[in-house]
Amino acid sequence: MRLLVVEDDPALSRQLAGRLESAGYAVDVADNGEDGQFLGETEPYDAIVLDLGLPRVDGLSVLRNWRARGIAAPVIILTARGAWTEKVQGIDAGADDYLAKPFSMEELLARIRALIRRSKGHASAEIACGGVVLDTRSGRVTVDGQPVDLTAHEYRVLAYLMHRMGQVVSRAELTEHIYAQDFDRDSNTIEVFIGRLRRKLGVDVIKTVRGLGYKVEEP
Amino acid sequence: MSADAARQREITGAVTGSLRFRLLAGAAVWIALALAMAGAVLSGLFRDHVARRFDAELTTHLNQLAALADTGADGAPVLRHPLSDPRFRLPLSGLYWQVNDTGGPRLRSRSLWDEALALPPDEPADGEVHRHVVTGPADRRLVVLERSVTLPGAPAPLRIAIAGDEGEMAGVIAAFDRVLWLSLGVLALVLIAAAVVQVSVGLRPLVRLRAELAEVRAGRKKRFGAVAPSEVQPLLEDLNALLDHSEEVVGRARLQAGNLAHALKTNLAVLANEADGLKPENARAVGAAIGRQVAEMRRHIDHHTARARAAAARGLPGIATPVADSAAALGRVMAKIHASDRVGDRVAVTVRVPREHVFAGERADLDEMLGNLLDNACKWARSRVEVTSRLEAGGMLAVSVDDDGPGLPADRRGAVLAPGVRLDESTPGTGLGLAVVRDVARLYGGDVRLSDSPLGGLRAELVLPVADGS
Repeated sequence: MRLLVVEDDPALSRQLAGRLESAGYAVDVADNGEDGQFLGETEPYDAIVLDLGLPRVDGLSVLRNWRARGIAAPVIILTARGAWTEKVQGIDAGADDYLAKPFSMEELLARIRALIRRSKGHASAEIACGGVVLDTRSGRVTVDGQPVDLTAHEYRVLAYLMHRMGQVVSRAELTEHIYAQDFDRDSNTIEVFIGRLRRKLGVDVIKTVRGLGYKVEEP
Repeated sequence: MSADAARQREITGAVTGSLRFRLLAGAAVWIALALAMAGAVLSGLFRDHVARRFDAELTTHLNQLAALADTGADGAPVLRHPLSDPRFRLPLSGLYWQVNDTGGPRLRSRSLWDEALALPPDEPADGEVHRHVVTGPADRRLVVLERSVTLPGAPAPLRIAIAGDEGEMAGVIAAFDRVLWLSLGVLALVLIAAAVVQVSVGLRPLVRLRAELAEVRAGRKKRFGAVAPSEVQPLLEDLNALLDHSEEVVGRARLQAGNLAHALKTNLAVLANEADGLKPENARAVGAAIGRQVAEMRRHIDHHTARARAAAARGLPGIATPVADSAAALGRVMAKIHASDRVGDRVAVTVRVPREHVFAGERADLDEMLGNLLDNACKWARSRVEVTSRLEAGGMLAVSVDDDGPGLPADRRGAVLAPGVRLDESTPGTGLGLAVVRDVARLYGGDVRLSDSPLGGLRAELVLPVADGS
C-alpha cells in the first residue's frame, strides 16, 4: 500500500512518515500544496493524508482540484482546524475522513486502514483467503492460525494482492503500490518477493497469470 | 506613468467626491446661470428702450419739419425758419433732414454738407411714417423716418425725411452693457463667496466629527459624545453602538485568551515536572502522564476558542442560519467520519427540520453545537440518529438530537455537562463536547437539555433563539 502525506510542518511530517512506514506502508511526502497536488495526480496512491494550511496552494483547493480531475483516492484531512464548520467544508470538498490535531497516531492508522479497506470494497478488518488471514489492524499474517514472519516489502506485496483479491494485478501496478517515489525500483525483485511469499505461506494462494501478472484466490 | 495617472484619478476623485466641492460647484453653476439670464434680459430690454427713444426723437424732428415746410414764391418748397436742433447746422453731426419733390432732393440740412440722402423709392400714403436704414455721409448707417406732405398750392406731394446716425444708439447700448456685465460679475463673486461661507458653516459639524473620530482612534476617547445635527445623529448612535460592540468583543476575547493562557500554564507546569523526573524506569508512566496533559490542553483550547467565537457573533442583528442547512451538512460529515469507527453497520442520520426554522446566530456556532451533539449521538447509537425541531414559547427553537443507543441514567446527565467529564474512556472523544455546547447555547440565551429519547437512547435538546420571520 502506498500513501501520500501532504504536510508542511517538517517535524510532524517526519513523525507521520516514520510511523506509517513502520506500519507497512510505502510513503511519499510533499511539503506544499503544489507538489502535493502534482504527486496526487500522477502517482497511484491507495490513500492520502492532507493538511489544510499549506504553502502555495491551500489543502481544500488541492482536494477540489483532485476531485475535479477524477482522482478518486481516499483522502483523510489532518488539520488544526477542528471546528465542525470546517469539517463540513472539508467533507463537502471531497474528503473521506477528517481528523483534528492534536491526534493520536493509533487513531490515524486505524482510520487510514479503514479508508483503504472500504475503498477496495472490504467490510472487515481481516481479509482471509485459503487459510491465509491478513489482519490490517495489527499488520500480522497467519496461516491456519500460525503467525508468519514477513519483511516490510513482502507484507506490502501480500497486503496489496489480498486487498485486490480475485483480480489480476500486473507487475507494474504492484511495483507502483509498494515502493515510494524516490525508491530505486527493479521489477525483477517482485518475482523474488512472490517466490519468498509462496515459500513462507506454504499455501498456494498467489497464482501467476501468464503475461498479465498475479492474482490471489482460493487454492 | 500609470501610477501617476492613478494618483491623478485618486486626487480628482477625492476632490469631486467631497461634499464641499459638490455644494460649491452646484452653487457656482446656478449663480452663473441665473446672472447670465438676468443680464441677457436686461440688455435686451435696454436695447429696445434705446431704439424706441431714438425713433421717438426722430419722429419729433419729422413733425417739426412737416410743420415748417411751405411753398415759396416760385412754387419751390421752403422752410419758414430753420429747425431748432443745432446739430442740423453742424456738418456731419449725425442728424440730418431732407425734402424731396418728384424731381429729387430740393432742400437739405447744412449738416449733410454737399451730399444728399439716397432715399429708396417709396411713396408713403398721407399721414404714414416709413422707416428705412440707408448709408449716408462718411459711410455711416442712418435710420431714416419719412412721410409725405401735401402743401397748399404745390403741384405734387413732398417727401420729407429725418435721418439719425445708428452708431449713436450702439454707443449708448455698449456703454450700458459694459456697466451691466461688470456689476453682474461682481454680484456673482459676492454670491459665490457667500456660498463658500454657507458651506463651511454647514459642514462644520462633520469637521468636528472627524476630529472626534481621530480622538477615538487614538484612544483618547471611548465614544462620540457631541450632539450632531439631526441628519448625522443616527449615524453617530450607530457608530457608538458599533464601538460598544467591538469593545465588548475585544474584552471577551482578552478574557478568553487570559483564561486559556492560565489553564495551559497549569498543564505546562505539570509537563515540566514530569520531564524533570523522567528516568528510564518510569518512562511509561511519564509518557501516560504527558498524554493526559496533552488531552487536557486540547480540551482547554477547544473550549476557549468555541466560547470566544460565539461571544464575537452574539448580539449582532441580522444574523440568521437555517437549522436544516446546518443539520443536513453535518449529516453528510457524520456519514463519512463515523464510517471508519464501525465495520459493516452504519448509523443512518435522518434530518426532519422545517426550512423556516431559522436560528438567530452564526452558522459556525450552530455547526459547533449541533456537530458535537450529532457526534455523540453517532458514537453511541446502534443504527439510528434523528434530528427534529419545533418552536417553543418565548421566541425559542428546540432542536432535538435522538439516538437509539444505551441512553444515559438521569442522575448522570448533570455530570456530562461539566467541563472535562468523559463517561467512557474507550470511546474516543474529548469529553468536553457537551460543556462547549452548553456554553455556546447560553451565550445566545439558550441552553441544552438531556432526556430519554423515544428511540430508546438519549435525547439532547438544544434551545436557541429564533431569527425574526421564522
